[in-house]
Amino acid sequence: MSDFSIKGLQPWLTLISRLILGGVLLAAGLLKVTHPAKSAMAVRAYEVLPVTFANFLGYALPWIEVGIALLLILGVAVKPAALSGGLLMFLFIVAIAQAWARGLTIDCGCFGGGGQVAKGETKYLEEILRDTGLVLLALYLMKFPRGKFSLDR
Amino acid sequence: MAAKPTKSSGQKDNFTRNLVIGMVALVVGVGVIFSVTGNQTKVSSKIPTIASEAEGYGLVFNPSAMPVIDIWEDFQCPVCRSFESVVGSYLSQLVKENKAKVIYHPLSFIGPESVRAANAAACAAEESKFDEFHTLLYKTQSTTENSGLWSNDNLVGLGATVGLTSDSFKKCVNDGGFLGWVNNIAADGAKKNVNSTPTVFVNGKEIDRNTQYMDLNGFTAALVAAGLK
Repeated sequence: MSDFSIKGLQPWLTLISRLILGGVLLAAGLLKVTHPAKSAMAVRAYEVLPVTFANFLGYALPWIEVGIALLLILGVAVKPAALSGGLLMFLFIVAIAQAWARGLTIDCGCFGGGGQVAKGETKYLEEILRDTGLVLLALYLMKFPRGKFSLDR
Repeated sequence: MAAKPTKSSGQKDNFTRNLVIGMVALVVGVGVIFSVTGNQTKVSSKIPTIASEAEGYGLVFNPSAMPVIDIWEDFQCPVCRSFESVVGSYLSQLVKENKAKVIYHPLSFIGPESVRAANAAACAAEESKFDEFHTLLYKTQSTTENSGLWSNDNLVGLGATVGLTSDSFKKCVNDGGFLGWVNNIAADGAKKNVNSTPTVFVNGKEIDRNTQYMDLNGFTAALVAAGLK
């Protein structure tokens, strides 16, 4: 029964990708869901959106992350969920990159926290690399949404 | 739950799928609505007597004095504690001598204890002991954030040490009498883009991060430049 060809591995790779991308999004969302004021502040600190919209995003985003995470983990509507998750990650990369380029010194606020940090404490490269990895997982899931242990299909 | 190559009933799987999508959408929708609406200003909230809606619900001392000093702080914030140790007694003196209009905006985003402390400070303000209680909070600030130090019981006890012994103070702290006000302050801070504590505005303009926060001379210079006599 063991099939170690790429074709045999794919359902497992899909499962692992779902769990990683979903797990990260779930952790990120849950850590922020109970701290809306801090979450809004983290978005404002990027200084890229109008304040009212930044606040709305700060309040709403953690819930959206949880929603996408649940779909991925349960394996339902994986393709649209992965597209949404990947798009989110791409937007985060753009936001972090512009903060870096403009010389802002902020914490990404991805897992709670956020706002100003001391100059030597920025982790922009680490955050961008992590999010890039997650974009790649999302792309993989969009190509191969069907896998092991999914509630769907 | 394992993915099978053949399906027993396409309709059954569609039902599960749609049910899950529906439930997730419900959780997300309700969550977003509660989060967005819960963090807006509520005009009907009970606010302390010296709080001013026009000043973002801040606690106002010497309403007709100039210059105007707005102080945004979180009682759990360690930097705020340092700031208080540098300028606290000077500010209290300015207030006593009616030399400046000082408006306090206690933010509460570090955790539930910040919320309780801000509420208790409002209760203290209601009984004309804000300054003493404010000083005491920073003096007794825990070395770690969200340590559990500021339970309502402890806050009531702290109040007692500065003369807040009334039943009304105790009830105000325990019942969260000004929690709505605490939320209004936070909502106003979000609107005004206040992203760190302490943040100080003099006549509407933030003072210099590098030279005028943690240095009494720098702080005083900012006030003098703004018209302090």
